[in-house]
This record gives sequence, C-alpha cells and structure tokens, in this order.
Amino acid sequence: MAVIQTTAEDRRLADLMQAAQSGDASAYAQLLEEIAPRIRRIVRAHWRFLGAEDVEDIVQDVLLSLHAVRDTYDPQRPFMPWLLAITRNRLADGARRYTRRESQEVHLEDWTVTFARNDANSTKETYGDLDALRHAIQALPEGQRTAIEMLKLREMSLKEAAAACGMSIGSLKVATHRAMTALRKMLGNEQ
Amino acid sequence: MTGDTTRLIQQLAGNVQPVRPLRRPWMRTVAWLAVSIPYVAIIVLVLTPRHDLILKLSETRYIVEQIAALAAGMGAAAAAFASTVPGYNRKFLILSLLPSIGWLGTLGHGCIRDWLQFGIGGLTIEPDWMCLPAIALIGALPAITISVMLRRGAPLTPHLTSALAGLAAAGLGSFGLRCTESHDAGIMVLVWQVGSVVLLSALAASAGRNLLNWRSISSASEGTVR
Repeated sequence: MAVIQTTAEDRRLADLMQAAQSGDASAYAQLLEEIAPRIRRIVRAHWRFLGAEDVEDIVQDVLLSLHAVRDTYDPQRPFMPWLLAITRNRLADGARRYTRRESQEVHLEDWTVTFARNDANSTKETYGDLDALRHAIQALPEGQRTAIEMLKLREMSLKEAAAACGMSIGSLKVATHRAMTALRKMLGNEQ
Repeated sequence: MTGDTTRLIQQLAGNVQPVRPLRRPWMRTVAWLAVSIPYVAIIVLVLTPRHDLILKLSETRYIVEQIAALAAGMGAAAAAFASTVPGYNRKFLILSLLPSIGWLGTLGHGCIRDWLQFGIGGLTIEPDWMCLPAIALIGALPAITISVMLRRGAPLTPHLTSALAGLAAAGLGSFGLRCTESHDAGIMVLVWQVGSVVLLSALAASAGRNLLNWRSISSASEGTVR
C-alpha cells in the first residue's frame, strides 16, 4: 500500500520536515511536492466517488493544515504517522463538507432553461400571442408563476429572486424549469 | 500535479518561516501548572483557607483525595496537549485519564467509609450552590491558559480536547476549593464537586469546535502565506 513507508524513506521525509521547521524553503518545497501525490492517492483510495476537483480541494486542505501546524511535528518521531493523522482528519472534514453540499444541491437533468445553449435561447422561446402567454402564466401554480415573473419577466437574478420571494436558488431553478415545460405544453410548443 | 496545488506549494514554501517544535505534552503540562498553581494559591488565600487546613494535612484521606484531584487535573491537561499532536499514541490519552478514575475511586471509597461510620446519615446530600461558581473562579485562569496553549496545536478532536481541558481546569478548581471550604463528606464532594467538574467539562466540550478549529488556525498561519 502507498501509505506504508520504509524507515529510511520516512527518515528522509522527517529530515526534510525538520529542515522546513528551520525555515529551509527548498527543503519544504521538496517535501510538499513529494507528499502531495501520496496525499492525493490516499484521498482517492478513501473516497473513490470524489471528482478530481474535490480531491484536489482536500489535498490543498491537507497541505494548508500541515503548514498551519508544522510546529507540532516532533523531529524525534516518524513523519508519516504525523502526516497521516492530519490527512485522515482533513479527509473526514472534507467528507462532511461534501455530504453537506450534496444534500443542499438540486441536480437537474435538463439544464436547457438556465444554460446558455442555443436551444435554450432560440426563437421558440418568443411567442407572438401575448394574451395567450399571459393566460398561460396565470394558470401556472403559484411557485412556478412567481419564478417566471421574477426571472423571466422582471429579469431578476437568481440571487435577487431568491431574496425577494424566500425560495432557495435550487427551488427557483426547479420551478422555472417546470414552468417553462408547462408553458410549452400549454402553448403547443412541446418539443 | 495540478496547477493550483503547485502554486499553493510554491506559496507555502516561499513564505515558510522558522518554527520552534512544540514541547512534549508533559513538558507543556508542567508549563501550564507553573502558571496555574500560583493563581490557585492566590485565589485560595483571597477566599480564605479553611481554618483546619493544617490539621487536615495530617489526615491521610484528605491528602489522598487532594493528590488524586490534582493528578486528575494534570493527567487531563497532559491528555489535552497530546490530543493536539497528530499521530500521537492514543493510548496516552487513556493513561492520562487513569488519575481521574483514581480520584473518583478515592471519593467513592470515602462515601463507603462515611456510610459504614455514620450509617445512611453519612450519605446525606445538602445544597451547595456555591460549589460550581467557586470551582469556575478557581479554575478560570488555568482554563484560559490551557485554551491559549492548545491553540498552538492541531484541532484533531476539538470536543475531546476541550473536554479534557475543562476537566484539567476544573480539577484544579476542585483541588483549590477543598483548601477553602470544610465540606469533607465523600458524598458531598462526589455530588457537588465532581458534578461541577463534569458539568464544566461538558460545557467546554460543547464549545470545542468554536475554540479549536482548522479555520482559525489556518487563517492565523495564512497571514504569512496569502
């Protein structure tokens, strides 16, 4: 396994860390460059589902944490257990952060409403019969109507609309998506 | 290696300052005691030492209980310091808590002796509402000192570390309190003093993440990086 180090290898890293504690920038850079890929491997091994960006976030978290508490390293003790303890701790924090973020996000299968794609901004979105459009909007459920009015008619940003109506940004996106689908159906533009 | 991480490494290395490695947990405990004990002694003098203190110093039970309380505080402090050192052997934490178990044991033994000597009357619990604020007062400076010292460490287990710090400070508080007041009944000490110590430790534990977190420690060190 990647985390198991030979004693000689550990001693070399410990020497680099000791030099770093004395303010040796090149030893510190060498140490960090050597341990970064190891930390990355450990993160990937623990949390296979994380994307490259999330893995890199945790690697950087570990490096920043190591830097912040580098005075806690005792040069008389092995280096890898010290590094692994920090890595495990930041991994757990990263997992908590990831879970929290995932539970707050709403994933949409069809982003054409909010994406800057041609079909999302095509002429199909303009409609000639304004009365019919007004009636169709009035017929929408309240949440969807509010979302359309604020985001499409008054052209408010998601943040502004969320602040004004008290809905979350995720809910506004969902409501807008559903409203647009419903309007297309009602106005005979179903794709 | 991604560009961002490479840049971060260059930043960290480019701004690295020399640091003095932290002393061993037991040495930090000694440093903490060097600040805390004189303060406890001063507060005991201010609150007026118990009138029979000299007499009590010749009483084995009192001496054993006081040594056990002091040892519990010291052990908890050493464990708190050890818990902020990444990779430190966790068995050390258990060893450091043994004095606390010993302290409870001596008080429990005292309760049994009181019961055997005075019957059920020896286990009467009377109100002692000043116990908690007195322990908090005597343990105030030790608590502040250990909190400041613990911020020079890794917040790996903030709640546990804070609970141990609370136990350390409150243990010293309890030690000091018994130099000032004359409640000696085992059950009274067990309920009010140990109860206060446990309560203060629980309060400290609940504030753990506010006192010790990576954000504040990283931002303090990032001042030199970003």
